[in-house]
Amino acid sequence: MNDERNIKDVGKTSATDRDPNTSEKFSFWLAPEVIVNPFDIVEVEQVYHEGKSKTFGLVTTLEHRTDSPTHLANFISSNFGELTEEPNTPRQGITLAHVNVLSNDKDIYMPVSSEKVVRFADEEGIQIALGIDAMEPQNRIPAGLIRMSNGTCAVAYIDRRYVLGPESAHVNITGISGLATKTSYAIFLIQSILQSIPDEEKNKIAVIILNVKHGDLLQIDKKREKALTTEEMEMWEALGLTPKPFPSDKIHYYLPRGKDGNPNSCLIPDVYHIYAYDLDGTIDKLDFLFTDVSDTSGALEALIGDIMNGIIAREGPLRDIHSWENLLNSPPLFKDGNTQKFGDHYKATVGKFRRLLRRMVKTMHSGIFVDNRRTNEKLLSEELENIKGGHIYVIDIAQLKEYEQQLVFGDLLKTMYSLKIEPKENLSEEIPEKVIFFVDELNKYAPVGTRVSALTEQVLEIAERGRSLGVILISAQQFMSAVHPRVTGNCATKIIGRSGSAEVLQPDYRFLDKEIKNNVTRLSKGELLLSHAVYRQPVKVIFPKPAFKQQEF
Amino acid sequence: MVIKMSNPLSSITPILNILSKEIKILPATGGAVEELQHPDQEEIEDVIINKNIDIVTSFAETPEPDPHNIYRHTPPLSRTEQHLFKFFVDGSIRTYFLGTGIEGTRSFPIELAQIGSAVIKREDDGQLRVLTYKHRIILLLPKQNQGISDTLWHYIQNIEKPDWLEIVDFTMPDILTDTKKDPRDKAGAKARYEMHKLEIELISFTDAFRDKNNWLILDGAVKLTDFIQAPYLIGVAKSFSKTPQFYLGKRRGAKSKDITSVLAGLPHAHRTVAFSAYDGQVAFWYVRLREQRELDYPLMGVVKVELPCPDKKPVSSELADLISSALVAERNVTPYGLDRRWHCSLYPIYIAEQVIKNRFFSKEVLMGCIRWPKPQEVNYER
Repeated sequence: MNDERNIKDVGKTSATDRDPNTSEKFSFWLAPEVIVNPFDIVEVEQVYHEGKSKTFGLVTTLEHRTDSPTHLANFISSNFGELTEEPNTPRQGITLAHVNVLSNDKDIYMPVSSEKVVRFADEEGIQIALGIDAMEPQNRIPAGLIRMSNGTCAVAYIDRRYVLGPESAHVNITGISGLATKTSYAIFLIQSILQSIPDEEKNKIAVIILNVKHGDLLQIDKKREKALTTEEMEMWEALGLTPKPFPSDKIHYYLPRGKDGNPNSCLIPDVYHIYAYDLDGTIDKLDFLFTDVSDTSGALEALIGDIMNGIIAREGPLRDIHSWENLLNSPPLFKDGNTQKFGDHYKATVGKFRRLLRRMVKTMHSGIFVDNRRTNEKLLSEELENIKGGHIYVIDIAQLKEYEQQLVFGDLLKTMYSLKIEPKENLSEEIPEKVIFFVDELNKYAPVGTRVSALTEQVLEIAERGRSLGVILISAQQFMSAVHPRVTGNCATKIIGRSGSAEVLQPDYRFLDKEIKNNVTRLSKGELLLSHAVYRQPVKVIFPKPAFKQQEF
Repeated sequence: MVIKMSNPLSSITPILNILSKEIKILPATGGAVEELQHPDQEEIEDVIINKNIDIVTSFAETPEPDPHNIYRHTPPLSRTEQHLFKFFVDGSIRTYFLGTGIEGTRSFPIELAQIGSAVIKREDDGQLRVLTYKHRIILLLPKQNQGISDTLWHYIQNIEKPDWLEIVDFTMPDILTDTKKDPRDKAGAKARYEMHKLEIELISFTDAFRDKNNWLILDGAVKLTDFIQAPYLIGVAKSFSKTPQFYLGKRRGAKSKDITSVLAGLPHAHRTVAFSAYDGQVAFWYVRLREQRELDYPLMGVVKVELPCPDKKPVSSELADLISSALVAERNVTPYGLDRRWHCSLYPIYIAEQVIKNRFFSKEVLMGCIRWPKPQEVNYER
């Protein structure tokens, strides 16, 4: 790509009395027959102390203006509304592009002068514009391809230090861009991270992926059935990545137990583990089960806290409780056919707890809750204690009820967080330096609102402190506005797919200019807006189709 | 690095310095005040230039038209069918009053004008481009009639000046200046005269390209002091004298018709027959570009066309029809809302005017550049 530098003059900068060029923005008119689109990156000559410098900018909007002062003048010019009237001389008009300044290669942020020739930036220029040139090569993670209207392509690298820490961390993907786009992008990014980091660090990163839909991510070690097209292969090549599935020997699939003891998944991989929850394995995250339960007085929360403490500590009347059945139908909560008062908790509160828990773990559950686990039914928290760097753990939660999904996700986060804060001494494997979590539908686990559930608190903890601990969250959802703003606010990299205009008007999108917001509503499938801490403006990227097998619908 | 913007009119400074050194100057407020143009300047000029054709008695068309049927249908002939008009010439002017000079007992205005002219070429696809353009600054001073002294005139004439700067004696007679009495009006008229001269000068740039299929439209009359001799050229006036009286037909039975009644009866996309002026050296006629129902007043939407006929040969009906049809097609697009004479404007001419005006120095630049040396105290001796 470097050899085919495709630089082309596209127009000239234009500053007027009413529409001046500023340090942040400038405008330029387009030469006839030049095609420029929003998100193209352009360059223009700028002053410098000695010689010249270059200012780079991102085209945000284009408008066509004519010398017609009113629409009425145009109507009259068409011979008072005759549709067939052809003007003898076409009305004078220009197409004007508005540009947000990205950077200057010599840090000159004077407003761009009028009448300067504007050109498409070439690949090198795009990377300078985004600040990629200042990234150390070993820190560059390909996050997509920027493809401009003149065909110039450049890799949009993001800085590893801002994705995996220590500078900042976390990635959030939002949008309604299309079936599996967000998931595909997240997995592409994970592949990109794993392929681009130096070999000596590859074994220091583990990935935990939650499969939330169908069997999407339960065959990521399998080759795709339909070969990638030439264009797709070229994209992979341009990104400097190898289109291959994740290595089978490093993938671990965990499927939830179904009611019959078999896996409860849409798709069963060749090699897998089953996980289930007995009371002992659940008790320290029991509160996650009640994430969506209304508890305005806090009475239920207090009771759950006391039950958890009692069982964990093996003290008092709860010391012999080892199963869901015991907890629900034995003293101290239940005796002689009646719900009992527990400590200073009212009988009514205990009754509510029992009703809810019975519904969750006995009557309505998907099969994941057992009183006693079989040998092959694993506890995820125990499995995580043996997490290995360089390995990928796919936890299937697609078929689970929402409260079960919340428990699993909370369990994973809490376990990993605890392991990071206080690593256990007897662990067979050292906890990897970085653990990447990918979860879709984040709004289920950390919804916006004033009530902060135990699970939301756990997600907030990871969002706010995960960077220093090496726990990295790659999350996705349809609507960013539905997610707790402290989670998305802590994501240094945001990926936005096509979103509705009502959604982009929400305060969560304040970091986007009005013009860019309008463009978000027009993004096509496969096009994403990439906002990264290093970039001054978000850029539009495309990414190749996955190289692993995907479920066909 | 320091970015400097130089004074683009610095060449005028030495002249102003000499003037203020040699004579007393009462500077205009802020250094220069723009003189406003009369809204119907073009009409006034048509009256002045064509003052000898108040009585129209003969045709300049062959075959000889029927005096009872002086209108001919000229349906629009669009550029895509036959692209006749390819060149458009216009001029524009801005004049500024710089101050009053007092030399001895004589006092006179000192005026400055920006004049410009442009030739626009229209390509076959309708796109316009500037073929050529000239811009001049003229300093208007009176040499005769209570004007500046011979010695001072000699001094300022001998100051080295760039091509675009000219010192003009506005008391020199010409067809436009002679009609004015007030010295400031005279200076303005002289500036307009110089502008028309510049327009005529620029026509020569199209000489090699004009032929029977490639015509030029000049904004206004085809006569200044002399007739413009160039072939394949017409003058189109949006505003014109309303005084001509038409006596057509056999002299004895000829009925008088004023221009208003002639034009009021002129239907849409029709022309009048060609009339003779200046003993046949100019053929002129009127074309209605727009339907009267679209306009406020019957005389709106009509242009006057002048065709030089140096050999005094009448214009063929066929050619006048062709020219008129092509002109009717020029009605769109129109600068409605930008030019109060939109109903008879030709858009390429409007664009030529914009080209010129947009290249003029702005009022702010001019005011900033025209700096009289420190004001002197004027001793009003009785």
